[in-house]
Amino acid sequence: MSDVRVDHTQKLEETAVPNNLEQQDKQDEEQPQQSVQENAEYEDEELHKLLVPDITQLPLIPPSAVEFNFASYFAPDFMKPGNDQYVYRHANGLCVVGLASTHLAFKDKGGITAVDFNVGKSDRSGMKVTGKRKKNAQHFESNTALCKVCTNGDSYIVRCCVKGSLLEVNERLIKQPELLHSSADREGYIAIIMPKPADWLKVKASLLSLEEFKKLRALC
Amino acid sequence: MSNEVESAQVSDAMEVAQLSSLAAVDSHAGSCEAEMPSRLLNDAVRSLPYHVVKDLLSIGVCSRCVLRILGTEDHIYCHSSFSQSMLCSVLEEVTGFKSECDFQFCSVCLGVLQLSYRDDKETLVKMESPNDMALVIAELVKKEGHQIDGFSLEVSIPQFILENESSLLSGMKKRYESEPWLQERLLSKCVSVKDVLKFAITKPLETLLDTKASASSFRIRLAYTHKMAFGNSVERNQGFKRRKIGTENGLQNVNDESVVANKDCSDYPTNETIAVTGRSSLKVPIDKVSEPCHLVYLCYRTHIYLCGRYLKYSRNVSQTRWIIDEERMGEASVEEIIGSNILPMCRGDNYKFHAAGREDIDVRMLGSGRPFLLEIQNARQVPSEETVKEIESKINGLENKLVGVKNLQVVGSQGWTLMREGEAEKQKQYCALVWISRPLEDEDVCSISLLNDMQILQKTPIRVLHRRSPLERKKIIYWMKIERIAESSQYFLLHLCTQAGTYIKEFVHGDFGRTQPSIGSILGCRAEILQLDVTDVKMDSF
Repeated sequence: MSDVRVDHTQKLEETAVPNNLEQQDKQDEEQPQQSVQENAEYEDEELHKLLVPDITQLPLIPPSAVEFNFASYFAPDFMKPGNDQYVYRHANGLCVVGLASTHLAFKDKGGITAVDFNVGKSDRSGMKVTGKRKKNAQHFESNTALCKVCTNGDSYIVRCCVKGSLLEVNERLIKQPELLHSSADREGYIAIIMPKPADWLKVKASLLSLEEFKKLRALC
Repeated sequence: MSNEVESAQVSDAMEVAQLSSLAAVDSHAGSCEAEMPSRLLNDAVRSLPYHVVKDLLSIGVCSRCVLRILGTEDHIYCHSSFSQSMLCSVLEEVTGFKSECDFQFCSVCLGVLQLSYRDDKETLVKMESPNDMALVIAELVKKEGHQIDGFSLEVSIPQFILENESSLLSGMKKRYESEPWLQERLLSKCVSVKDVLKFAITKPLETLLDTKASASSFRIRLAYTHKMAFGNSVERNQGFKRRKIGTENGLQNVNDESVVANKDCSDYPTNETIAVTGRSSLKVPIDKVSEPCHLVYLCYRTHIYLCGRYLKYSRNVSQTRWIIDEERMGEASVEEIIGSNILPMCRGDNYKFHAAGREDIDVRMLGSGRPFLLEIQNARQVPSEETVKEIESKINGLENKLVGVKNLQVVGSQGWTLMREGEAEKQKQYCALVWISRPLEDEDVCSISLLNDMQILQKTPIRVLHRRSPLERKKIIYWMKIERIAESSQYFLLHLCTQAGTYIKEFVHGDFGRTQPSIGSILGCRAEILQLDVTDVKMDSF
């Protein structure tokens, strides 16, 4: 379902208003008290008709919330070979960053064991951003480290990919690193970053679209 | 002796003259004052201490202010038939004082009670009778096309006038302190300039507008301000405290030596003048007022309100006007549809739309509808019950059927409190079209229906995080019910009732796991929301 753009499923559903809305008002006036209940039931019925969709118009698999509301970009081999990350950008400019499914960490046998946000100069999970202006958010470069993803044999540094203010990191990963396995592209996101419009345009040039990324990694 | 006879003759002649104008007064419908206003005036004037009247007139106090300050009852000199010149000549006649030839504005009221002012075109206006001012007002009301059933008259005058008056009164108290009339006339508070003007204008206005003055939403306001250009003051008392005023109000004096009366200014220097007159002379801070006040006539109605509930049938209509980069989002807005249909019926200047909460552009508002308040500014006409019903039918009958209205009615200012009532406790009911990544089981339907008063934790959704504080909000889902859709195993309707402020879309798809729990996490699969409708906004008072 679209956050901002016109809902494309709008045409799937009848938005017809019951033509008897006005007749209903007359009914209210004429009939005595005991049919108030009948009226209520009638109104419920009419409401219900509006709510039930036409199933033949619905797609078998609808686009996900992410697909519909975010534009997907990819940074292959970011700073290091195999370091594939995604950047999902919302229409309002906020970017959700995380590990793409082709990231090396997923190829490691034994899987991901831990996620540590204490990298660089501070513990990223400790910061608190407050207020509408998000003034006390830290400003990071695109190569600033966000966290360290550890597997049995190795560890990988995940970086911002986008220059901007760090609004939030996914703290759930600390206790539940397995989220990266189950859904790295949703519940397993790494962080949310707010770039300035100018900074975004600069980095966008170096990112790949989903199509381009699929071609590069020879995905189906 | 002969003087007395003379003045008696003169006053008799004046009475005759005034009797004939009295006839005109009598035909003036609605003036039910004493039968002989001119006689009352003469009696009142004769009872005044003449030397005081002389003193006051000589320092430029106008006739109405003289009568007012000396405690004459206002209905005597406020009669609409008494013109400026008439009052002036009565006073002069009785006291034998001749005023200067060149017309001056009153040093106390700055011309307000002389019915003189500069209008908005900077033209100098000198009206003869309060009737004339009432006429100007009535014309304005008619021109604006106001339908009224009452009016409230307000007058605002520069603070300076009050200060003038206060300093004059202190001076008078000092100068005449031993005299017998002082006790009775001066020590009781004198009627204010504002009240006198209001009193003088109200009756003729009531007649012209054919309605009564009362506490009404229709306001008539006379706003007096005084700009610069005071005449050169000849004397300045050292006793006065010097104080410069800011330029905002235009109450500034060109001369740097100018002074403003304040409470300490009752110290009149007696040294220099006592030798001449034997007692302190009367002063006003400003003499020779060469410019009257600037007057603006305003008539307007205070806000009127219409309340009701609206329904939104379209997924392409925003609640309020939404324009980004000169482009409109959506094809229309609830605010504009309702406002544009009501405003012309009230013949108002402007409208403001307020609603109890809001829904996204792609979310329909069905069922009972959402309470709203429409504020109309300066309505020329308050719509009748019938008209309101017509408006409601009209909006509901619009061809494109984007918006509907229920229970439309005019409401007083209590409309605000009605809207705010129980805001925190407000419950909302929704119906969402949900898709899950696996077939729906009977157990799912059951387990969902068992969850009552479930608390969820929502981080600020990403879609609004750019303009909202990052917070974690606790919300309650009161109940949920799954309605299966025939011929579909993965689509269903989710009916739910939640606390006000809950983000429903995020509750369904989880928002990257930032809303816990979510439908997806409860059912152990991926969940998406395709459509959302608001089916009830629970509020009793609307």
